[in-house]
Amino acid sequence: MFQLSYLLLILALIIIASAAVRGKAARYLTILFSAIVFIFVVTNNMTMTNFYYGTLSILTLSFQLNFVSSILLILISFIGIFIPLRYSSSPGFFVLLQFLLFSLVGIFTTRDFILFYIFWEMVLIPSFFVIGIWGGKSKNYAAMKFFIYTHVGSVFMLLGIFTMYFTEGASNFSMATLISGIGSVPMAYQSFVIFGFLFAFLIKLPTIPLHSWLPDAYVEAPSEGTVFISSLLSKMGAFGLLVIFSPIYMASSFAGSTAVPIALIVLGIFSLSYSALVALYQKDMKRMMSYTSIGHMSFITIAVGGFLYLNGANPLASQLLYYGAVFQLISHGIIIAMIFALVDTLEKAAGTRQIPSLGGLARKLPVLSFLILAAFLASVAIPGFSGFVGEISILLGSYAVLKYYLIFVLVGVVLTASYHVFALQRTIFGPYNEFLGNITARKQDLLVALFPLAIIFILGIYPALVFHIFNIHVIQFLGGIH
Amino acid sequence: MDLSIVLTFLIFGLPLIGFPFVIGIGFLKKNYSMYLGTSLILISFLITLYIFFSYTVNGIVIQYNFNWLPSLPAIIPMGVYADNLSMIMSLMVSFVGFLIILFSVGYMKEDPNRHIFFGEMVLFTSSMLGLVLSSSLFMLFIFWELVGLCSYLLIGFWYYKPNAASAAKKAFIVTRVGDVFFIAGIGAAILYSNGAALSISGLTSIHLAWQQTIVALLLFGGAIGKSAQFPLHVWIPDAMEGPTTVSALIHAATMVTAGVYLIARTFVLFPYGSIQVEVILYIGVLTIIMSGLIGLVVNDIKRILAYSTISQIGYMFAALGLGLGATSIGLAMYQLEAHAFFKALLFLTAGSILHAILNVRDVNKMGGLWKKMPITISGMFIGVLALSGFPGFAGFFSKDSIITASHNAGFLLAWILLAIGGFLTALYSFRLFFKVALGKPRSYAAEHAHESKWIMLIPVVILAAFSVIFGIFQRGFYSFVETGSAPGVFGISPLNSMDLVPVVLMLIGMGIAYYAWGRPSSIPQKVANGARDLYLLVKNKFYIDVFYTNVIAERGVLGMSAVTDGFERKAIGGLVNASGRLFQNSGKVLRKIQTGLARQYALIILIGLVLALLLLRIFMLVGVIH
Repeated sequence: MFQLSYLLLILALIIIASAAVRGKAARYLTILFSAIVFIFVVTNNMTMTNFYYGTLSILTLSFQLNFVSSILLILISFIGIFIPLRYSSSPGFFVLLQFLLFSLVGIFTTRDFILFYIFWEMVLIPSFFVIGIWGGKSKNYAAMKFFIYTHVGSVFMLLGIFTMYFTEGASNFSMATLISGIGSVPMAYQSFVIFGFLFAFLIKLPTIPLHSWLPDAYVEAPSEGTVFISSLLSKMGAFGLLVIFSPIYMASSFAGSTAVPIALIVLGIFSLSYSALVALYQKDMKRMMSYTSIGHMSFITIAVGGFLYLNGANPLASQLLYYGAVFQLISHGIIIAMIFALVDTLEKAAGTRQIPSLGGLARKLPVLSFLILAAFLASVAIPGFSGFVGEISILLGSYAVLKYYLIFVLVGVVLTASYHVFALQRTIFGPYNEFLGNITARKQDLLVALFPLAIIFILGIYPALVFHIFNIHVIQFLGGIH
Repeated sequence: MDLSIVLTFLIFGLPLIGFPFVIGIGFLKKNYSMYLGTSLILISFLITLYIFFSYTVNGIVIQYNFNWLPSLPAIIPMGVYADNLSMIMSLMVSFVGFLIILFSVGYMKEDPNRHIFFGEMVLFTSSMLGLVLSSSLFMLFIFWELVGLCSYLLIGFWYYKPNAASAAKKAFIVTRVGDVFFIAGIGAAILYSNGAALSISGLTSIHLAWQQTIVALLLFGGAIGKSAQFPLHVWIPDAMEGPTTVSALIHAATMVTAGVYLIARTFVLFPYGSIQVEVILYIGVLTIIMSGLIGLVVNDIKRILAYSTISQIGYMFAALGLGLGATSIGLAMYQLEAHAFFKALLFLTAGSILHAILNVRDVNKMGGLWKKMPITISGMFIGVLALSGFPGFAGFFSKDSIITASHNAGFLLAWILLAIGGFLTALYSFRLFFKVALGKPRSYAAEHAHESKWIMLIPVVILAAFSVIFGIFQRGFYSFVETGSAPGVFGISPLNSMDLVPVVLMLIGMGIAYYAWGRPSSIPQKVANGARDLYLLVKNKFYIDVFYTNVIAERGVLGMSAVTDGFERKAIGGLVNASGRLFQNSGKVLRKIQTGLARQYALIILIGLVLALLLLRIFMLVGVIH
């Protein structure tokens, strides 16, 4: 068994090495870094593995590789390979990227709240610098907004953690202890804990109306930054909801009550339609696609809300919701990475990413147009692409919760499809915009884009690959929740 | 796994796996794509034939299920289900699909992107085959979506035409509206049967009538979108912007028949006398009358055919809406197959004509083509006779049986409307034919028309033959489809005098059509002027398109979008920035006291000390502190 302590040590050494060496080495070391993460997940046979390394004062050095973290670690290694292949950024960027990936590995595996909080905050640093250093015109504004906004959320989470610790009179910050004891503390404290965590996770996800950091951060960040922020950082919120918040809620005295689940579902439905409507109006493709990200993540909110609402009452629907949400994590992570990379290729080729200045690109850029078409179809969840699996599972499962109200989700689904095909009509289809002249796309970029596309196809046609991982843990994991 | 199961998978699996190769081989030589694509569908057809004759006719139902997400407690079944109903559909889809693709070899041979075209056509046909052979609602939905995707790609095949790009978008969004109802229907089916109803054979486990109604109506919502029934019919006339062979495939073999098949497949949810069959019946009837009227005033040859498709599909839904159990399925499926033959025939002849006259689609610019293209126009004549239900042709047997059945089952209002629909059908189809074939050529292109090549004529001749002889299979077809299903509520009763009504109406329609359009005449103009309001109402397609485009899409969705965007930027963005400024400004104010001058700090400390002492004194006076 590949020990997690060794993994973290090796990763830390690679970061130091990347910082020390000059030239292109950092780029290749990032690939090595990610490959090691991947090997770690695979050699642990993607089973539920607990790693325990004793205690350090109040810290519990306890880690866990469960099915959600396995999948997210695979996503981390995907991004860590995709970005160096696709972008030849400066060495500093890659060091920051590795630092970020390292923190994410920590977030997704630790079972101690203090470590969780530390890793959670560590993620902000590289993101902040990447936006602030390599960003677009109003990078300082975007970086500040991103930092402050998400930090406000983290503070509430920290207060929630302390509330649990002090009111339960616990001796350490182990997640298992603190979560299982939440039901015994006074209701007012429980409410505050639930609010604090929810607030932090919903900002990170993000859900509307707590999303306003996102469009600026995504648009102003350099393309490679947008790729990892959109693909990985939104997963922190989703991971929190699925693996931290849901167990807390189900262990609390609120379990079975419907107010918070309904609120989550309403927020999710609202986010879906709202983001689609705003996206429809955008002229900047990158900005439009940042709202796509909000739309995709709103399915997670709906799924978690539905899952908590059912509270185990309908096993079939609960499974569809929970697995659908987890599948949506990896699927969205890959699709959105591909989309932002393609938008960058398009911008480099055409000199603009403003939709009105494009048109009929299929004539001059057939391959790029095909890739954009495929990515968009994946994004609107057409069968055969991975987006379909997560979305359809969540939709089918949520009928058990929503019944006729499902119509509101479906309106959002139609709106999402609408702005996608509307954008396609104005960019790659229609008559060619002759003002663009004779343009070509970089061949390497197109070639690299096949990498995520292949994964999207494979997962879409054979989702059992991911569901296989689920099966091993499902019983233990759900057992842990109750 | 049994050989029959493997073969059933291959029917749709072979072209599904083969389609990337069809495109890929085109990079070597574009014509290879045409040959590979055509042969893939031919092989599918041959396999279907084999299974049909060695299993289906012997009463063997091929069924195989596997779990899509193995090792997961939630069972999502996938697999094949080949009973009489599926096989009769599969035969038609692969056969008509093959003929259309064969025709495309001639029709598209100049197109620079024909390798992509053939790849997409193969994917389209294979998706439809997968749809009809699916053993579960979930798998059916997957292929349902792929069919929709292919129609999007093929309608927009000539992507550089703004109309085509816009029509593709419209088709995608409108059918997507139907699709989401389908999703809800599957969700409902899962909930009310605890997952059992996902497989076709498990649909019977939805017992309660209200649950059946919900699932049935939601599924019908999906069927409306795909099958272009009121109110979601608006995409199909615009879809004529694609190549004509695509229209033929959409209208005859794939896509629009999917909705009818879905309802026939799930017909256990549509018992006699339920709300859901009533809804289907009247949606069907309403669609027939509406599209029949519009078909009378449209001048684009392909759009006339499009409206005729909408109305003929309406007959299929009306047949299902009678709710007569297996009898209804037999009636609807027979109409579906007959329609597939003559509609494919009509579209291919239309394609042949457009090919000859440089894509001028206005029937007013045609005329006198019978002399120029005798085989094609003869084919079209047979198609028109079949479409309008002339005695002896396929449409007569299929459509008049539906009209008669509605009378026998006691749906008097439906019977009257269906018969009027038959009259309208004769009227618009002969209007089309007379304008195209008779009189003098009314444009330069029409004067120089010439007969098409043999590869385009062979499919026309074969389809024409089927449109003529298909009638003789009627009784056998009904009993074949009904085997294995629940027995019908009413049998087909012997002929009586009322059965003559549709025939007479049809002949009257044909006569009026000749009188108005078969010879130089000012009657149509006079009628249009006489009933100006009605004419404008019909000419504007009952303002349904305008309503969707202007009110729902532009005012509604785009308007909402603009408002939301404004809210996003001004309200939410403003609020966040304002709270940011609040902290910034308070920081600015407080910053002023940080001057760095030691004397000033000493002063502040002194003032603070004095104030503190003063406060202490006050508190002592008040009595707070002792």
